[in-house]
Amino acid sequence: MAIHEKSLIDPERVLRKDKLLIDGIDISGDWNLIILPRVVQDYDLKFLKEVMEEPEGKTILQCYQCSYCTASCPVHNYWDERYNPRHFIHLARLGLLDELQKYTDVMWRCVSCHKCTHRCPKGVLVEEVVKAILKAMSKRGLIEEYPSKKFDKFFFDAVYQYGRIEDGELLFGWIEKQGYRVTKDPLLKKPIPFMGNIPQWLKELALKPLKNMNIGFLLLNAKHMLFHPKTKEWNRFKQVLRKVLEEEGTSVS
Amino acid sequence: MMQELRVRKPPLGGIGKRVAYYPGCSLEGASRAYDVSARLVTKELGLELDYIEDYNCCGAMETKNVTFWGTILLNARNMSLARKQGHSAIIAPCNGCSFSLQRAEYFLETDKEILEKVNRLLEEAGVDPLREIPHTYHLLEWIYHEAGPERVKERTKKPLKGLRIASYYGCLYTRPHFYARTYAHGAEQESRNRMRETADDDERPYYMEALLEAAGAESVEIEPMHTQCCGGPHSLSDEQVSEKFVQMILQTAKEKGADIIATECPLCHASLEMYRHRLLMKGVSNADTPAAYFTQLLGLAFGYSVSDVKLKDNLSDPLPTLKRLGIV
Repeated sequence: MAIHEKSLIDPERVLRKDKLLIDGIDISGDWNLIILPRVVQDYDLKFLKEVMEEPEGKTILQCYQCSYCTASCPVHNYWDERYNPRHFIHLARLGLLDELQKYTDVMWRCVSCHKCTHRCPKGVLVEEVVKAILKAMSKRGLIEEYPSKKFDKFFFDAVYQYGRIEDGELLFGWIEKQGYRVTKDPLLKKPIPFMGNIPQWLKELALKPLKNMNIGFLLLNAKHMLFHPKTKEWNRFKQVLRKVLEEEGTSVS
Repeated sequence: MMQELRVRKPPLGGIGKRVAYYPGCSLEGASRAYDVSARLVTKELGLELDYIEDYNCCGAMETKNVTFWGTILLNARNMSLARKQGHSAIIAPCNGCSFSLQRAEYFLETDKEILEKVNRLLEEAGVDPLREIPHTYHLLEWIYHEAGPERVKERTKKPLKGLRIASYYGCLYTRPHFYARTYAHGAEQESRNRMRETADDDERPYYMEALLEAAGAESVEIEPMHTQCCGGPHSLSDEQVSEKFVQMILQTAKEKGADIIATECPLCHASLEMYRHRLLMKGVSNADTPAAYFTQLLGLAFGYSVSDVKLKDNLSDPLPTLKRLGIV
């Protein structure tokens, strides 16, 4: 659906008849398709302002709807045609929020590959604008929690707490969040990679260094899992970060 | 095509032989192979990496969706630390890290208000404010420009003869041009002055191919999959899409006859290896091409051993392939 305007036509408004007679005159042929007019009154003009208030969303007005972003997008091309950044920008600018809400199941699927931003001839930061639209929608409660948002939050919490992330903790923490039972050692409550009711692929991958007798790798990662790598002078910076987040209205755990 | 592109001249003045090194969290843990091999290779090529002490996470592509100001601040702290150590160039070996630092660079450079606010916050946090904004370059770009294929050829002791390599660059190495400062055909005139000469070609990057070819390997074109996304920040949160993308990359590499995929980002590398394993478990055919960091392959060509470049850390087992071709 590269030509997205078609999606604005409700199917129940399209009348198509095999034989169309009006006042006894047969007008079948090219004339047998009638689209009933649709009156839209629920434009929300404030929404565009809200998107532009996000620092990432400022460039939204430069868009001239050429669809280069959509044509480049791997999610659109290889996953779901309904993911259409050009359309999202169009709807956000019109303020057609109920139309925008029809795409909440795909809108979060952006993989941040930045092909759209890179190729945009008008200098719109497309990826950032789509994220700004998502943020503005979240603030209004128009979109429910979605997987990538949960992961982003989870990632940020690790950064906020220690200043650095740790791969093992991130991976197993996320797996645990998905509802798998991760076995932990009784003393420090850290996950044990080879045990528990975790997905089979992960168990096999975690066992590979052990099978290869890759002792250095195992020791290093075990050390990191037990003693989380930290930025030393983090506490004072963390307080400033906290202040910034509160100003922004982002919740901190 | 390759020959024509490779004559692009290095910039006046260059990036510098001694630079600040921002390894990023991943390289000190699960991707230590990249860190170790990058240090070996750069030392061999006469370049020096100065580790940024006490750095923090760059936020990758995740935290920017949670907080704009927080992410800019995280990166500004790292930039400030690099400046304190006396550097005006930062080298990041990870696409995510270089993206994050370059993104912050873009916003700090183009918006004075952002810079002022960030400087105020940095002072409050006890970090030196940014008087000059350091530039961030990807490790690959730096090696290409400060050492180059010529020097790689000089140093090669054991050429990677007969090894067919598919170079995989991932997304954020040359994209978007606002941040990576590549030449882009779509860019408007006013953003052209920010672009730099050292940057790789935006749609057809070739630096990795050039370096590996200089080390004696044969490169395999997998366009357009060389810059196709691996799932990136959604590798864990959106498994279906990531799996499909990785399958496309691996199958293209196999079809074109590549023995191994060379990577330059720990996240792409992990994503390729993880989903390769899962695809093989599912019985998907043509998805068994192993992956190795380009620095590991260069290290092997320079005469280092398998354990020197930590080839055992690669979960996709490139060893049997390399043994079969008589490289190790």
